[in-house]
Amino acid sequence: MAIFKKQKKPLQKAARKLITVDNPKSIISEQYRTIRTNIHFSSADTELRTIMLTSSSPSEGKSTSAANIAVVFAQEGRKVLLIDADMRKPTMHHTFHVNNGTGLSAVLTRQAEAAEAIIPTDIEHLSVMPCGPIPPNPAELIGSQTMKALIAQLKEQFDVIVFDAPPLLSVADAQILSNECDGTILVVNTGSTEKDNALKAKETLQSANARILGVLMNNYTLAKDHYYYQYYGTAE
Amino acid sequence: MEETISLQELMNVLKKRLIMILAITILAITIAGVVSYLLLTPIYQASTQILVNQDKVEQQPFNSQDIQTNLQLINTYNVIIKSPAILSIVIEKLDMDTTPAQLTNKISVDSTQNSQVINVSVTDEEPYRAVDIANTTGEVFQEEIKKLMKVDNVNILSPAELPEKPVPVKPNPKLNMAIGAVVGLMIGVGIAFLLEYLDTTVKTEQDVEDLLELPILGLVSPISEKEMPTPASRHRKKKR
Repeated sequence: MAIFKKQKKPLQKAARKLITVDNPKSIISEQYRTIRTNIHFSSADTELRTIMLTSSSPSEGKSTSAANIAVVFAQEGRKVLLIDADMRKPTMHHTFHVNNGTGLSAVLTRQAEAAEAIIPTDIEHLSVMPCGPIPPNPAELIGSQTMKALIAQLKEQFDVIVFDAPPLLSVADAQILSNECDGTILVVNTGSTEKDNALKAKETLQSANARILGVLMNNYTLAKDHYYYQYYGTAE
Repeated sequence: MEETISLQELMNVLKKRLIMILAITILAITIAGVVSYLLLTPIYQASTQILVNQDKVEQQPFNSQDIQTNLQLINTYNVIIKSPAILSIVIEKLDMDTTPAQLTNKISVDSTQNSQVINVSVTDEEPYRAVDIANTTGEVFQEEIKKLMKVDNVNILSPAELPEKPVPVKPNPKLNMAIGAVVGLMIGVGIAFLLEYLDTTVKTEQDVEDLLELPILGLVSPISEKEMPTPASRHRKKKR
């Protein structure tokens, strides 16, 4: 308990905002549900099971988006697993207030079984796999055969697996992982992502043969006459 | 990358930076006001009018030849008034600490075309000194012209007077502030467009479609604190 109290402050700062849980009636939650629908539509023939979120640069909203998208999928009744694949700057254990002792890195280095690293959350149908201890070689771990086997194994247990990946242009992790995933979502921070970087990120993903589902525009301030504002039932 | 700018986009750019533009404009007006009211020395002006007319009783008062001569003389007088010959006497009389060359800059002599009246305007930091210089110059000129030209045809029409509340001719704070406002507005608008041009970030759905040619899955508005329940209430909810 004492340890928990000590960590409380940085914990709240690093925690991503789970608006879909805390305020499911808000416009933003509605926006996440729209994204969920669009993800469904973007895969008419093949079923998307593994979705990865990444962006060109750090702090563009990957973790927040990944967490909220995982939540809306879970709210739909699917069995969702959210994996923190950002082994350089993990945050998911803060967001969901879970122990980061065993996680993806431990599973990939065969120090733990996958079942040990999967932690159910307060949200129905949603489980998370935190990052675990930060390893020295995240890119190799993600590119390993163990990772492939792990994804295949998890696909049997879960309907949807959402990966929170590191930024594309900083490290190779996301590029490697995107190749393993059914779909990749590029997060763009409106008003802060450089056009050049966004383009480079897209090219990086294309060179990895990733299937880019589309772009999520984060931090997008709606104009007053935007159609979302006219959506009835969201007014408080 | 080709960019077409519509009028609406221009308006949006201005709207977005409206506060900045207004701030720069107000700043410019303030600077102009402060400089003109506090920093610049006010300059006062006084002028005296000199009539050039041959004062000969035996002749008819309105001899057109005379008037013509006088008009031609005026050009000469204009130069004489500003010559060191006159001004050094003015300086001497007023006991001033200046040179005729410096004093020349303060005095301007002009006459309306075909008029026999010469207007001598003097600008100075002190209103009374401007009046003194103007009047002394007129008097000295009247005296000296008799010796120089051997004629007595100069009269002082109206001497300069010191008004009760002297109004400086320069600086003109209102004009300066108006200029400041225009310049500030221009600078503000310029900076607004410059910032917009230098801003190479992704801003609209159109940017994504043009640049990345990827579908947009969705827009997410910034999550404000207002939308989020306070951490305390969230904890309470969780404990239950």
